[in-house]
Amino acid sequence: MSELILETSTASMRRNFWRGVWRVMKRKPSRMAGVVILLGFTVMAVIGPLFYPENLPYDPNAKYAPISWEHWFGTDGQGKDVWAQLVIGSRYVLLSALVTGVITVVVGAGLGLFSGFKRGRWDTVLMRLTDMKLTIPGLPLLLVLSTVWSFGSAIEMGLVLGLLGWGGVARAVRSQTLSLRERGFIEAARGLGLSTTHIVGKELLPTMAPYIAMNMLVAVTGAVYAQVGLFFLGVLPYEADNWGVMLNLAVFGGGAMTTTAALPYLLAPLLAILLLTLGIVLVVDAMDEIFNPRLREE
Amino acid sequence: MKRLAAVVALLGMAAVSACSSTDNKPAATGGAAAAAAVYTTVDGNKPGIDPAGPANPFAPKGNSFSGYNAMKLAWVKNHLTDPNQFYPGIAESWEIATDNSSVTIKLQPNNKWSDGSPVTAEDVKLSIAIAYTQGNTAFTQVPGAAGSASEVTVVDDKTIKVTQDMANPVTTFARGVLDTPVVPAKLWSSVVGADIWDKIKAARTEGADAEAARTYLTELGKKIIAHNPGQDLSAGPYVLERVNASAALLKKNPHFYNAANVAPEKVQLLNFTGNEQVWNYLIQGKLDSSPFVAVPADTMTKIKATAGNQVIKGYSPVVVGLAFNQSKAPYDNVHVRRGLAYLINREEVTQIASPEGGTAAVTTSGIHQKAAAEWLGAELGNLEPFATDVAKAEEEFKAAGLKKSGDKWTLADGKPWKVSMHAPAGFSDWVAAQENIKNQLIKAGVDAEVVTTADFPLYQTEMAEGKYDTGFWLIGLGPAPYNIFQRIYGAANGWANIGGKVTHNAPGKNGNWMGSKEEVEVEGLGKVNPGELTAKLNAVSPEEQKALMLQLAKTANADLPVIQLWDYVNTQFQNTTRFTGFPADDSDLLRLPHGVWIQLGLVKAKS
Repeated sequence: MSELILETSTASMRRNFWRGVWRVMKRKPSRMAGVVILLGFTVMAVIGPLFYPENLPYDPNAKYAPISWEHWFGTDGQGKDVWAQLVIGSRYVLLSALVTGVITVVVGAGLGLFSGFKRGRWDTVLMRLTDMKLTIPGLPLLLVLSTVWSFGSAIEMGLVLGLLGWGGVARAVRSQTLSLRERGFIEAARGLGLSTTHIVGKELLPTMAPYIAMNMLVAVTGAVYAQVGLFFLGVLPYEADNWGVMLNLAVFGGGAMTTTAALPYLLAPLLAILLLTLGIVLVVDAMDEIFNPRLREE
Repeated sequence: MKRLAAVVALLGMAAVSACSSTDNKPAATGGAAAAAAVYTTVDGNKPGIDPAGPANPFAPKGNSFSGYNAMKLAWVKNHLTDPNQFYPGIAESWEIATDNSSVTIKLQPNNKWSDGSPVTAEDVKLSIAIAYTQGNTAFTQVPGAAGSASEVTVVDDKTIKVTQDMANPVTTFARGVLDTPVVPAKLWSSVVGADIWDKIKAARTEGADAEAARTYLTELGKKIIAHNPGQDLSAGPYVLERVNASAALLKKNPHFYNAANVAPEKVQLLNFTGNEQVWNYLIQGKLDSSPFVAVPADTMTKIKATAGNQVIKGYSPVVVGLAFNQSKAPYDNVHVRRGLAYLINREEVTQIASPEGGTAAVTTSGIHQKAAAEWLGAELGNLEPFATDVAKAEEEFKAAGLKKSGDKWTLADGKPWKVSMHAPAGFSDWVAAQENIKNQLIKAGVDAEVVTTADFPLYQTEMAEGKYDTGFWLIGLGPAPYNIFQRIYGAANGWANIGGKVTHNAPGKNGNWMGSKEEVEVEGLGKVNPGELTAKLNAVSPEEQKALMLQLAKTANADLPVIQLWDYVNTQFQNTTRFTGFPADDSDLLRLPHGVWIQLGLVKAKS
């Protein structure tokens, strides 16, 4: 009987949560727009490439063709459709960004929670490690790494960016944990003799979930900028249909900064990055309210 | 940008070897055309001006600009077939012995350094000593090396004689001599040392002392590259006034022998780190002239639209080819290479990659098509043109044992085959060309990929280590016939030419990454050793050279160690708003630094 009551109560909480989410989303249309943008990019990355052949058709007589119904963003210097490249390229960008986000959050939040909750020697060791990590300049290290590592797969790229980006999250989560562990509800949980796993997993983590989720989205944006930047600079090996490579070829091969012919080729990945960032910002705004009861307008 | 620098550097490299006496004189102007004007350009050899760089012509980041405040004994014309034609520089004239045993150089009688002291034969002798430390075909530390100098004699204050070691002579000896940069003894003798000639003499012998002397000279070479003379003492038309991160400003050297005919009072060399900066300068009409730079078609239209801008085209002794590593299957099979040659549409590749700076290769001969017409005459038309022909490609692939599974070609054992092409990342035209070739091959059922390397030095290192299956490789670096063919039948393909003795290294050894067979069966010629034929080009008469060039062209055409893709066109820019008298299309002056145009008195201020 008691199990039945517990299950009913959990299901009811879940329903209430999603109702709350829906209410928060409805309150500002921009939040819905953010979700639609992110869903659009997800569909683009997951399903989009399936609509195109492995090797895109090209037309050497249609180099840098202007925007038309046939070519929504014109063509590149090989006469290939830019929109198709954007769609195909989105998979690498988004997958690596997602991997980065997950690694940043898992490693950063994990270390931060553990360190902040345990304190003592563990805290000292882990935070010195984090400090050391924070002193390593990310971009120069990436430039050096790119000479020995080709970052051929999105997962490799995401892994490296993630391992370079967890330091800030770890520090911030630790601070939050140090503050929360002195609060009454944690004291009560300790008093009840609940396990550390329970306290960290069921009490601390949900409280910090909005903060961690926002960090994840910010990490995703940073990862997009970082990898596109590396490909744009030409320090990473050439990848056909890659957003950064598109930017590089548009500027250095097509002269997009001096003439208009290659401008759509330059603008397509730029607009995509802009739109993706906008979607993330809008969703972060919604998440803030969903997870922060003080901001919720019931 | 990197490609621009590389091509310009290779053009310079191509200019290494020498001949006949000349009466070349600077153009007489019949009056002082010295308008108080600033001539603005860029130095293609010096991307990224370093304000802290020394006035040292040997320092890569130095602020000595060839043709302006850095001078050579003479300026090599890079004639289509004659490597020994020059314009005067520090030398007014030169006389080459009929047997090439010596070159006697007469210096400009009235030339002075920018402090007013005369340029003497002692300055030249010291500069030759420096050349031994920097590596030069005529002044080499390697004992018995072909075409090296055995003696340097100061005849009088304005005359110097350089004698060739006739144990192993080459016809291009004078070229190696006259291509020497000249620096003032008063600023450089302290770093070179008084015993330099003893060291050079010792280095050119055998034994432990010789080895020690060679080590000493190599270390001295590094010191010379790092040397800061403290001030710019120039024997050229200009001397450095000031330099900052955006430009180097040079003022006229009033003591230069032809100063009266040097029109611009000052020269401003703008900094650039990428082609797009040069495009912007050109569109804004800032540059009075610009050396070769790869330009997209639309940008070219915009550059042409700027008032006064004009595009000038000339011969450039540089060709780009797709080179094979024959140590790796299936590229060891000539039928595979021939099949690929039939599949690649070179016109399309050139249209995509270098429409303004290249002409599709008419065939693979190993020689730039303009020079090939001179060397081979009508025989050029008899070479297999490798026009795009899918049916012939299929025949060749079948002859190689490749199999077609569905619409894809596989290796003979049925394993997948992917043509992996390599290029340095910054070389946008090479990457574009390879992407186009990839598209063409995939369309024909041959899987392909483009792989880039972070930079050009790493690309060269990895290529030499045999890490790539195929990659782009500059060939045909004329005009000296030996220089043309040593790119495909030289060290990179196993043939080492030391002291005139040709040896062959096995594929994968001592930098042999191309891995051709030592002897090639060529229809009509029988068995040919192309490396030995190439080495012979150094020492034989012009008529014999022609016969050898034909044999080598036929060998390259039959054996295809590379597929010749496009021949570079030396596309340059001039703006006639402020100055006139620029070289016209096809002028040999287009292959020289623009400072040479000015110092010869050709460039005039517009009245």
